[in-house]
Amino acid sequence: MKDRLAAALKTSRADYTEIRVEHTWSAAVSFRGARLESATAGEDRGGFVRALHDGCGWGIAAFTSLDELPAMVRRATELSRAVRLDRPIRLAPVAPVTAEALLDLDGDVRGVPLAEKKRLLEGYNGEMLAVPGVVDTQAIYRDEVTEYWFANSEGTSLHELRPEITLSGTAIARRNGTIEKGLESIGLRRGWRGAQGQAAGFGEAGRRAAALLDAPSVKGGAYPVVLDNELAGVFIHEAFGHLSEADFVYENPQAREMMTLGRRFGRPVLNVGDNGAAPGLRGTLPYDDEGTPTQDTPLIRDGILVGRLHSRETAATLGERPTGNARAVSFRHAPIVRMTNTYIGNGSGTFDDLIRDIKLGVYACSAFGGQTLLENFSFTAAYGHMIRDGAVAELVKDVVLAGSLFQTLDRIEQLAGDFRWNQMGGGCGKGGQFPLPVTEGAPHVRIEEALIGGDVPA
Amino acid sequence: MIERAIELVRARAATGDALWRRAERTSVTFESGRLKSCAATEETGVNLRVLVDGRMGVAGTTADDADDLVARAVASAALGEPVPIAFPTAVSLPEVSTYAAPAADAPLERLTAIGAELVGRVTREGCQVNVTIEREIAQTRVVNTAGTDAGYRTSTVVVGLDLARFAGDDVLFVSDQYAGAGLPAPADLDALVRSIDDRYTPAVRVVAPPDGALPVVFTPSGLSAILLPLEQALSGKTVLQGISPLGAKTGQRVFDERFSLFDDPLVPGQPASRPCDDEGTPSRRLPLIERGVVRGFVYDLETAARAQVASTGHGARGTFGKPHVDYSNLVVGSGEWGVGDGRLGGGLLDAITDGLLIDDLIGVGQGNVIGGAFSHPVALAYRIERGAITGRVKDAAVAGNVYDLLGRIGDFGTDGRWLGNRWSASLLLEAVSVARR
Repeated sequence: MKDRLAAALKTSRADYTEIRVEHTWSAAVSFRGARLESATAGEDRGGFVRALHDGCGWGIAAFTSLDELPAMVRRATELSRAVRLDRPIRLAPVAPVTAEALLDLDGDVRGVPLAEKKRLLEGYNGEMLAVPGVVDTQAIYRDEVTEYWFANSEGTSLHELRPEITLSGTAIARRNGTIEKGLESIGLRRGWRGAQGQAAGFGEAGRRAAALLDAPSVKGGAYPVVLDNELAGVFIHEAFGHLSEADFVYENPQAREMMTLGRRFGRPVLNVGDNGAAPGLRGTLPYDDEGTPTQDTPLIRDGILVGRLHSRETAATLGERPTGNARAVSFRHAPIVRMTNTYIGNGSGTFDDLIRDIKLGVYACSAFGGQTLLENFSFTAAYGHMIRDGAVAELVKDVVLAGSLFQTLDRIEQLAGDFRWNQMGGGCGKGGQFPLPVTEGAPHVRIEEALIGGDVPA
Repeated sequence: MIERAIELVRARAATGDALWRRAERTSVTFESGRLKSCAATEETGVNLRVLVDGRMGVAGTTADDADDLVARAVASAALGEPVPIAFPTAVSLPEVSTYAAPAADAPLERLTAIGAELVGRVTREGCQVNVTIEREIAQTRVVNTAGTDAGYRTSTVVVGLDLARFAGDDVLFVSDQYAGAGLPAPADLDALVRSIDDRYTPAVRVVAPPDGALPVVFTPSGLSAILLPLEQALSGKTVLQGISPLGAKTGQRVFDERFSLFDDPLVPGQPASRPCDDEGTPSRRLPLIERGVVRGFVYDLETAARAQVASTGHGARGTFGKPHVDYSNLVVGSGEWGVGDGRLGGGLLDAITDGLLIDDLIGVGQGNVIGGAFSHPVALAYRIERGAITGRVKDAAVAGNVYDLLGRIGDFGTDGRWLGNRWSASLLLEAVSVARR
């Protein structure tokens, strides 16, 4: 395949050409209640060519028929020439590299019979169904192995094997008219061995759903709020991370002003970064989809904005350096600026130190979902507890955290020393590309005051 | 390849069906007002379902290997649940226009010219304009072991236009789109430009939000939060699982009698229109809610078999995974669609002394949707005072329960339009809870 890519590249007349080919074997099993919904295996393969002539735009061809690589190169170069630009597209330099990065498959899922995958998930699903009060469940197992080739006209040539496993469970508890849910979600850049020994989290999801039946809704209002590791991670990814993607600002002087490096974004306790090279995480890969090595990129240091995430194009436009964040969800798409493993840096002290002097507050835990619309966000915690007189008190539900990013970041006043990566399933969506494997990490985070929307106001 | 896959299934004395789809997409992207990229995508895939000894299995592929596909589907069936699916036999399909040759044959220059025109008409000081134009030409075939061999072709053109304005830490974002089987007519582009203008201009001024139980007008775009719980509740799958609030209410009046909801796959020229669904069941217009009365639910073959009813022709499938229940075109209001006047708010603002116009909300789909309760911060909303928009409101949230609010609606506006796969006008709801932040 390497030779085919090299031969096809030679036929290109463009100033820059890249080719990506992916071959993915996947399996998926899902249960709804005690019933198997489906157990299936799929095979997906295809290629992507992107070409650039000096003074022209990007020409892109994506295809599932791999017999026609040179024809696709021709197609992409023609499309590039169809776009004339007054300000040419430049690519920041990246040293050419040749690498065989065959990640450890950790138990190759392709060798495991579908029946065993079904049996594994059936067990996890059973952990939820066994909880009294749980009336319905959904459990999903997915695995894949992608063989990946990338080559460009500057001499880079990559060959990778990328494994991935995701497991998720939703437990639904119901009593009379009240319906509550509990979630478990695991996403790992690992193989079959990574899927073992995960029963506890599924049982916990069932027990949480049942416990929420008796929990009151949180009373809406402004509180000191402590986010658990998981919600703090989701928050930093959704509310801040997307603004740090340079394609958001590189063509937009006003947005660039909002995101000027050196601007204070928070108090000195706040450190944020994105690390695509962190070992063993779901968002980790040796190179991005432009062949740039991944790295740890500081974004906020001591409360000050110090960096952003780049592709080669955004880096060249802004006169900065590529960070290895150009990623595509599959061969169907062009690489765009994306996060990898995004984190809030560790603090010091314990969780108890964070809540000791809070008379009345909210401890918001885990996430059902979150959405950010530029400077405004809304996150739904999976559950919460009231904090009363310095201690964690009763379980509460309907904990929705909403507000302005700038205000909320500035109100982060204390961080515990209990940093953790959250290896969750699902993934990040942007520009029609979903789900991209990412990870988030954070310690417990205390926000001086945030608005909690609770029960639907009468 | 699809014939060979079905032949192999027959040879194993099994039954089954398959979907083959080939799509060619051409797209052009204007970033910050300038054309940046052109892309061509070609994709061919097959999704196969088999019933072996009554047990269901599925497999999908983009590789050209029928034997491997069938082997994987059969392996899947060995684990599958028994389900008594009866595949539809060959019947004549209804006529519906899904393909426009001028759109399918339009050269790249025609697509970029549309984008350049829109950029020129919408650009203004201090704003970024992004335009994407995507044209897809697709062929679909559904073949099963019961004799169905249905095929049709589609063309789809989507023009997306958005305008962003940054002023300090205030971000204003206005967007709209055209979608249809044909190229947008001049009137369609005029409507798009007017829609952006009408929503941008009054948004520049930020005003304080009101507070309390107030009249709120939801635009066709803002209505998503209100309709999502109904879309979930009217799925046969939700009914089968026993969690639909409407499951036991067929024939009962649950909503205002001015409120109807139809699914109509036979609307000419809409992207979701098709003569049959992805399982070969012929398309037909289906009443879901008629003058406030619950009339029916949408089913695919598997869900229908489990519920012991007939499929309504709402099976959808991609290359991977098993077929699932999905809507085609949803028509909200009287049940009939037409051409609206394009006025923002559809004339519903006149009678409002103090209230809100909602065009977009944050967090739709989070939380416990099926119960009908919602609570969302606004993404794009306007204050209405004495019959007119006075400015944009930012720090406000709206909340309520869809089942309460749709029990007695204010009125539908005169601005009915297609947005995505849904036709609706603006809707006035009385006494929606509005909270200041």
